[in-house]
Amino acid sequence: MAAPLVKALLRCSDLTLGVRSAALRFPGLTQVRWSRYSAEFRDPLIDKEYYRKPLAELTEEEKFDRELKKTQPIKAAPSAHTSSVFEDPVISKFINMMMKGGNKVLARSLMTQTLEAVKRKQFEKFHAAASEEQANIERNPYTIFHQALKNCEPVIGLAPILKGGRFYQVPVPLSDRRRRFLAMKWMITECREKKHRRMLMPEKLSKELLEAFHNQGPVVKRKHDLHKMAEANRALAHYRWW
Amino acid sequence: MLKGVASLVSRVRKLDPGHLRLGTQAPQSLAAQLDNQVSFESPRAISCTNENDPAKHEEKHEGLHYNLPLQDVKTVFPHGLPPRYAMQMKTFNEACLMVRKPALELLHYLKNTNFAHPAIRYVLYGEKGTGKTLSLCHIIHFCAKQDWLILHIPDAHLWVKNCRDLLQSTYNKQRFDQPLEASVWLKNFKTTNERFLSQIKIQEKYVWNKRESIEKGSSLGEVVEQGITRVRNATDAVGIVLKELKRQSSLGIFRLLVAVDGVNALWGRTTLKREDKSPIAPEELALIHNLRKMVRNDWNGGAIVLTLSQTGSLFKPRNACLPQELLGKVANYSPKEFESCIQYYMENSWLQHEKAHTEEGKKELLFLSNGNPGQLERLCAYL
Repeated sequence: MAAPLVKALLRCSDLTLGVRSAALRFPGLTQVRWSRYSAEFRDPLIDKEYYRKPLAELTEEEKFDRELKKTQPIKAAPSAHTSSVFEDPVISKFINMMMKGGNKVLARSLMTQTLEAVKRKQFEKFHAAASEEQANIERNPYTIFHQALKNCEPVIGLAPILKGGRFYQVPVPLSDRRRRFLAMKWMITECREKKHRRMLMPEKLSKELLEAFHNQGPVVKRKHDLHKMAEANRALAHYRWW
Repeated sequence: MLKGVASLVSRVRKLDPGHLRLGTQAPQSLAAQLDNQVSFESPRAISCTNENDPAKHEEKHEGLHYNLPLQDVKTVFPHGLPPRYAMQMKTFNEACLMVRKPALELLHYLKNTNFAHPAIRYVLYGEKGTGKTLSLCHIIHFCAKQDWLILHIPDAHLWVKNCRDLLQSTYNKQRFDQPLEASVWLKNFKTTNERFLSQIKIQEKYVWNKRESIEKGSSLGEVVEQGITRVRNATDAVGIVLKELKRQSSLGIFRLLVAVDGVNALWGRTTLKREDKSPIAPEELALIHNLRKMVRNDWNGGAIVLTLSQTGSLFKPRNACLPQELLGKVANYSPKEFESCIQYYMENSWLQHEKAHTEEGKKELLFLSNGNPGQLERLCAYL
């Protein structure tokens, strides 16, 4: 299945390297990441419900969309992107960031063991608590994970701006994507570096996730430190020109 | 190893043709009764049943979970449960076992055993993760309730690999002792069978070394104590215990159940080596030698239940170990059992993912695990 697709690519996008869409181009910035797909390739849509709809139920736009898809080329779907009901894009991104050397199997198993560890710890707390508090204890590892990452996202960031020969740390608004990335990155570096040599990653990660869920712990502290630095350098805000 | 199992199997065939015939007829009658659906009395009863006595488990309880009181679990299974099941027990604060067809069949045979005949050997086999060890635990619980003496070896593979200290046996120069494993097993044996230890008296005099000896007529409890305190003689203590139990079970004072998990270890290779790096065959380990004598059915007054295990076995490919007999094949979950298992998890709120409660989610779980109980448990752990 991969071979005919590659041949099609080589035929139509011969020497032109595919670049990202023009909307992301900033003046003065060069594209660093490029893909082998050229601009007319569309992203794949993996959704069982969309494809299962019988022809009669489609609206005009959807019918047009389907006709268009018959002619346009579509990129290959990555193998980790499934139509399973249990799939979560945030978790997939986190697994990709944890992965080292392309060992997705190991990264995924670490993630599942972390979720299991979180669940077991919460169950223990649940059984130990009195019945009034039992309603407050959250046992779903997925909600804990999402809430913990949300608690770790910074609101404002710092960027180094060159003015008059010196670099100043200027407070700058961050996009959604950058915030999510920073939260996940901080979580992973924290768990990798600040742990006992014999402690395993799932154990440490589950501990950090539970602390972040309650707005405590080192990752949330790092976010607060960043906010404080931004507040301290408030006067430099007018160095930003975008 | 397969030759050994085949000879075991042929010996079973020769001695008990009656039971074999029953074995071929029983599945048909069980299959007929499977069509009767269980009535839905209350939400909990969909997956759990109130019948906590394994002696009263019938075909209509098939697929339902029954509760094991935690006190019983501590005495009867100090070392028998698989580690993931023990974790689940700790998380849910309760021990629930599912009643399944192979276990029901075995219970039926055990209830009708004739104790004058030599002990019958039953083998539970099946692919990895289907539930052989837990079915064995079900049987052991039943026998404990019926007041049998239980000789349970949780995993014979632990005795043939990763042993730190091997001593040359004092009793027989050619054999090797494993003091650690023997003493651990003796401690657990004591927890399980406390009340029998004072009742049974040994019938021979054994000399440990120049200064210590055990007289004829003293209780088995003393032998076990000696084994636990003197770790060097632990293996010999185990040998004495096995020999005495075998001899005395024929007399009819008590009934003996020998339950061995991972019995293919007794006839395979070991990873242990002598000091000159030459490998040791299992016959040369005293523990294994005594256990093999136990498993040969030249005694009467009880039963032997064995489980094959591929997980711990050494030097064997993944799909090995299938005896030719059909008795006791532990298969994957049937749809009814799968539903029951999912219901049990939902009742304990173990499946926290929102989508897991939907039909789509259940279908996906069934597909991903293919009805294999072990796989299903691992999948549900993080969902």
